[in-house]
Amino acid sequence: MIRITGGKVYDPANGINGQVRDICLAGGKVVADVDGGRTIDATGLVIMPGGVDIHTHVAGGSINFARAMTPEDHRRAVAFIRSQSRRAGLGGMAPTTFATGYLYAGMGWTTVNEAAVPILSAKHTHEELRDVPIVDKSCLVLMANNEIVLDLLQAGELERARHVVAWQIWASKAYGVKAVNPGGVAAWKWGQDAKQLSDPIAGYHTLTPGAIIKGLAQIVDELGLPHPLHLHCNNLGAPGNVTTTLESMKALEGHRAHMAHLQYHAYGGDDWSTMRSETVQLAEYFNAHPNLTTDAGAVLFGDTVTITADGPWQHLLYKLTGRKWGNLDVENETGCGIVPYSYRPSNLVNAVQWAAGLELLLLIDDPWRVFLTTDHPNGACFWRYPEIIQLLMRNDFRRECLASITPKARKAIKLPELDREYSLYEIAIITSAGPARALGLKEKGQLGVGADADLVIYHDDPDVLRMFSHPRYVLKAGEIVVEDGDIRATPEGREFLIKPAYDEGIENFLRPLFEDQYTMSFENYPVEVQRIEHPEIRDCMGTE
Amino acid sequence: MGGKVTCTLGEVKNRADFIVFWGGNPAECHPRHFTKYSLMPKGKHVPNGRKDRTVVLVDIRETKSVKAADIFLQVRPGKDFEVLTILRALIKDQAVDPRQVAETGLTLEQLTDLVARMKRAKFGVMFFGMGLSMTRGKHMNSAALLTLAAEMNAFTKFVAMPMRGHGNVTGADVVMRWQTGYPFGINFSRGYPRYNPGEFSTVDLLVRGDADAALILGADPGATMPQPAIDHLARIPTIVLDPKVTHTSRLARVHITTAVTGISAPGTGYRMDEVPIPLRPALKSPYPTDEEVIRRIHEAVCAKPDWIHANGQYTTNQV
Repeated sequence: MIRITGGKVYDPANGINGQVRDICLAGGKVVADVDGGRTIDATGLVIMPGGVDIHTHVAGGSINFARAMTPEDHRRAVAFIRSQSRRAGLGGMAPTTFATGYLYAGMGWTTVNEAAVPILSAKHTHEELRDVPIVDKSCLVLMANNEIVLDLLQAGELERARHVVAWQIWASKAYGVKAVNPGGVAAWKWGQDAKQLSDPIAGYHTLTPGAIIKGLAQIVDELGLPHPLHLHCNNLGAPGNVTTTLESMKALEGHRAHMAHLQYHAYGGDDWSTMRSETVQLAEYFNAHPNLTTDAGAVLFGDTVTITADGPWQHLLYKLTGRKWGNLDVENETGCGIVPYSYRPSNLVNAVQWAAGLELLLLIDDPWRVFLTTDHPNGACFWRYPEIIQLLMRNDFRRECLASITPKARKAIKLPELDREYSLYEIAIITSAGPARALGLKEKGQLGVGADADLVIYHDDPDVLRMFSHPRYVLKAGEIVVEDGDIRATPEGREFLIKPAYDEGIENFLRPLFEDQYTMSFENYPVEVQRIEHPEIRDCMGTE
Repeated sequence: MGGKVTCTLGEVKNRADFIVFWGGNPAECHPRHFTKYSLMPKGKHVPNGRKDRTVVLVDIRETKSVKAADIFLQVRPGKDFEVLTILRALIKDQAVDPRQVAETGLTLEQLTDLVARMKRAKFGVMFFGMGLSMTRGKHMNSAALLTLAAEMNAFTKFVAMPMRGHGNVTGADVVMRWQTGYPFGINFSRGYPRYNPGEFSTVDLLVRGDADAALILGADPGATMPQPAIDHLARIPTIVLDPKVTHTSRLARVHITTAVTGISAPGTGYRMDEVPIPLRPALKSPYPTDEEVIRRIHEAVCAKPDWIHANGQYTTNQV
């Protein structure tokens, strides 16, 4: 039992904006009152619900591939020293699993959503998630290039496709559905891509990326998944791709959807030398369409490693950079590509990307619909989030940074004209309350009675970077896990799963297809629920 | 240069119409590879199975795998890197020195024919074995082959995959990577992982006599390592966990018999393409599993006072 007294509370889900309140915690939950137990004097400190990362890549085959490819970065990374309660590990561009938990918690984040899981290697993802301590976890299964689903969508068998998708969500022990470059990764298996929403995909007669987007969004809504279709649009990273993004958004009208890392889909121009930010156009459309949420996918200058299921894009990036290239095509389902990358302020494209991420966060009116991410590790590593918070809260600091980017970029971006500054209340929305709501995790991202006792206590420091980098306390499930930069406890987090309704008979349809196309036996394909360390099976929403 | 362009084995089954085995003898070392994944299966896009595939074997001698191949290219021992480098030039239509070609044991006609076939393929794959990765040039040979596969993607779809084996070596590699960032050759003596193959690899530590004790799990270094390493294992307290008595067991202080994973113990095996496969025991064993033994050793070790001094939780300055 813990009572936290005297702190200024920022709890947007309950409309509390900096009022001084006592917060009582017992049994891992926020309660109305406690009798006895420890009291934390938070006088003069700031209290927020623990951070929720809606889109990150922290576990599974692709990030583990990235770890293998970047030993030179591990050598210069922060190193966690083993103790009796903590495991050794490394930070850096692709942190090791234990370090991932320590780094997230160390900055006040207590829930993470791994955004890309192939069913075929979902066991691997869950084994890694089990080794990510402290935080609660969920993951999204990759679906928009799954050939069994694609064949059904082409045949117009949406009903059967829905049962297959539901079966696959449960088979992979996922929480939601992710669509990456719909059709493009399937085309990549023939060395091609899918850039136009209305063109048939290589290897298919009539199926288009637009049809996949619509079909999956409809299925996700019909199943009543708490998190809507999580879409990584076609044509990522390419100059002029804003038209594809807008078309995708239009295709989604009438459905809920989460547009992942929108920054990477917000460019105008015809080629790399004329690339510009088109965030104004995008934000305008987005503001008018409340069926959509998004995360920024913001970029920070520096070294990182890019990881995505978008194989063709990574081949292009390899050709552009001449650096290492990792590629893994996953049979019948998806793929992944990995390329180390350095974002430089002197580079026009990188400067536009840096500005575009911030612009989206500043131009989208409703903070409940745009969330702080860097698409870790693609735009920057998650442990650099405090730098983005500083950029959002301090216009003068933004201007300082703007002075250091290449002058060529100034007329290609909107950022110099934007003076908006985020308040602490809004920061609590984009880092916690908003993403929790978009994920359908009602007891996360808020501090009302009954909420999970995940919260962070910051010094009320005018130096925003210092404030958000070094919380005074972080509590997870009512336990103090971080105190003044020291990791005090490393409890194991839970994993959220969904078991949507499906006709058990769908296995009779899947089995022969599977045995024909895959290389393992059908029985070995699903992840047994016993493999999940602390599973919590959540309900689908009422489907009306 | 660097990285790896690869796929899971089902992609090979469903798509590969051009397959190269380089420095390996799958017919004897991976006997199910041809039938389950690479040669015989009828795939979604290669409906006639073997008939739709062209198979090339590159090796320094004729092995039993030659029979399975359409084309056999016999390279002079130690010249794999040169052949791969010449191929990298030929795919880009760059000039090559005929004298250097002659040294490889292959003719320019053979190599240009190979390049033409590679470019004509719809989906090419190169599997490589220890005949490439463990001979003169070692990791540079693997890097050359991986780079060739990556560069081939300028012309057509091409991937590469190491032919790994020896039980669950891929699983060990995968787990070490997510826990420490590195696949093998890891030193924890400073309390955090450091990596340096050639310095921290098992064989190097043993030959130098750096290790005070050894715990051997699922391996038999007593049968495969050089004599100085074996001598050191005999000198120090060595503990072996194995379902059977191995060469290493005979020179160890302690041998603990454990259940056989996949037969009498559950677990997860990672295929050479890093796809995890659940292992379900068919039989019961009177012996404990490896996991159980390690857990009990770990508990006993944890009960001892911590040996790392209180010098902070992390360091930003690795030494």
